Amino acid sequence: MTLAERLERYLTRYWDTPTEVSNLSRIPGGASRETYRFDALVKGQTRPLILRRDPPGSLSDTDRRLEFLAFQSFHGRAPVPEPIVLEAEGTELERPFFIMSRVDGGAAASPFTVDPYGEHAQAIGEAFFGALGAIAAVDPSELPLGAAAVSPDPADCWRVALDEWASVIEADEQHPQPIVRATIRRLRRAPPPPPVAVRVVHGDYRTGNFLHDGQGKILALLDWEMAHIGDPLEDLAWAIDPLWSHYDTARVAGMLPRAEALDIWSRTSGLPVDAAALAWWELFSAVKGQAIWTSAAREYRDGGFKDPVLAISGWYTARRHDEILAERLMRLEGLS
Amino acid sequence: MTPSLPDILLGNFLCMAEAPPPESAGEFMAGKVGVVALLSLLAAQEAERGSAARVWENATLRALLNAAAPDYGAHLAEAARAEDGDLSLGSLDRANATLRRALIALHEAVEAAGDVQRDHAILRLYGQMAHARRLDMPPLPGR
Repeated sequence: MTLAERLERYLTRYWDTPTEVSNLSRIPGGASRETYRFDALVKGQTRPLILRRDPPGSLSDTDRRLEFLAFQSFHGRAPVPEPIVLEAEGTELERPFFIMSRVDGGAAASPFTVDPYGEHAQAIGEAFFGALGAIAAVDPSELPLGAAAVSPDPADCWRVALDEWASVIEADEQHPQPIVRATIRRLRRAPPPPPVAVRVVHGDYRTGNFLHDGQGKILALLDWEMAHIGDPLEDLAWAIDPLWSHYDTARVAGMLPRAEALDIWSRTSGLPVDAAALAWWELFSAVKGQAIWTSAAREYRDGGFKDPVLAISGWYTARRHDEILAERLMRLEGLS
Repeated sequence: MTPSLPDILLGNFLCMAEAPPPESAGEFMAGKVGVVALLSLLAAQEAERGSAARVWENATLRALLNAAAPDYGAHLAEAARAEDGDLSLGSLDRANATLRRALIALHEAVEAAGDVQRDHAILRLYGQMAHARRLDMPPLPGR
């Protein structure tokens, strides 16, 4: 039975009405989930939908329920697609999956293209950092995600995050990585001040993880699979990591000057940007990245070398983050 | 470690050798072809520079470990005896793993001792190591 037939059978049962699936097509979208677009004809109406299914190997072992709850939490508050159904067991499609509404007419820019937003970079940047601030403005206790996710004490946010990603490196490292290990030690020696408040952290808020219309408008914020509760500066630091601006040193994320991006975020979130805290989270971002790429390299090998996205992640981005980390470590010591 | 050059080239073959299921034959396959093309371009850089970068790093680490051994222990000099073997990437990486583990231990000891001069020397070396292993992403046109 094809995937389309299985999906059709599932939706017919789920909606308790005959459903036809057409135009099922897998689309590129990273290695953490398999992503398919399709149309469902139900009760005479065509519904444009997205299927997100766990892959045999993925970038990180994430909680798909929290991802689904993140969509539920921010649909209607931010440009976030409507989640439809989550199947955590996923037996009918062989692996866990969820279905959400589809936003057509947009494109996701590759972080490795030059000037990905062209003349609309300013407008995209204002929307991008404004939406991140809007996410950070919400008290998690008001949200479905807040009821399900662990909420750390503000003073522990840094430790929880660093322990998590350091343990990933410990588990998946296949060749000694002195640069990231030196960074982890440095981060432990000098923790950041605690956040004013804990907030929902998207976890992978960056260039490439949203759809835009090519005219300066953001249509959909995607890829919430690493959503959790923590220090909101974690998202801000990740969004402005040099990896995502691809050698554009004048603008963060290839969009805006750094100071302007931070100001927009602070105004929309209602939260201050503590310089020392942000510096810690920026260094942490490259550690988190290196952990993700380390896992990707292992999964590329364990999966029989068949997913080239894992190869790029485990190879190019890992080497690039080593450069970023080394440069930052030297700068912190006044060596560059 | 990051995937080796043989891993990448083998993967490029394997991921294209199998016919995709019907639902993955369109946009997804086009994206996959683009990523494989990019990997091939980066693989050319690794083929050109990868061995030289490893030979240089291994020699530099041996010198660093031998110089530090009188202050930080004979085990460093022992690790520095790891040989490059037949100069294949696999052989160079095996020696490199031994040398890097010793470097990590040395840096931890240097930090604990408050040895700022050697700490800074190691941080500068990290910059050189990362630069030697870099892969240069070409300017790709946006869509």
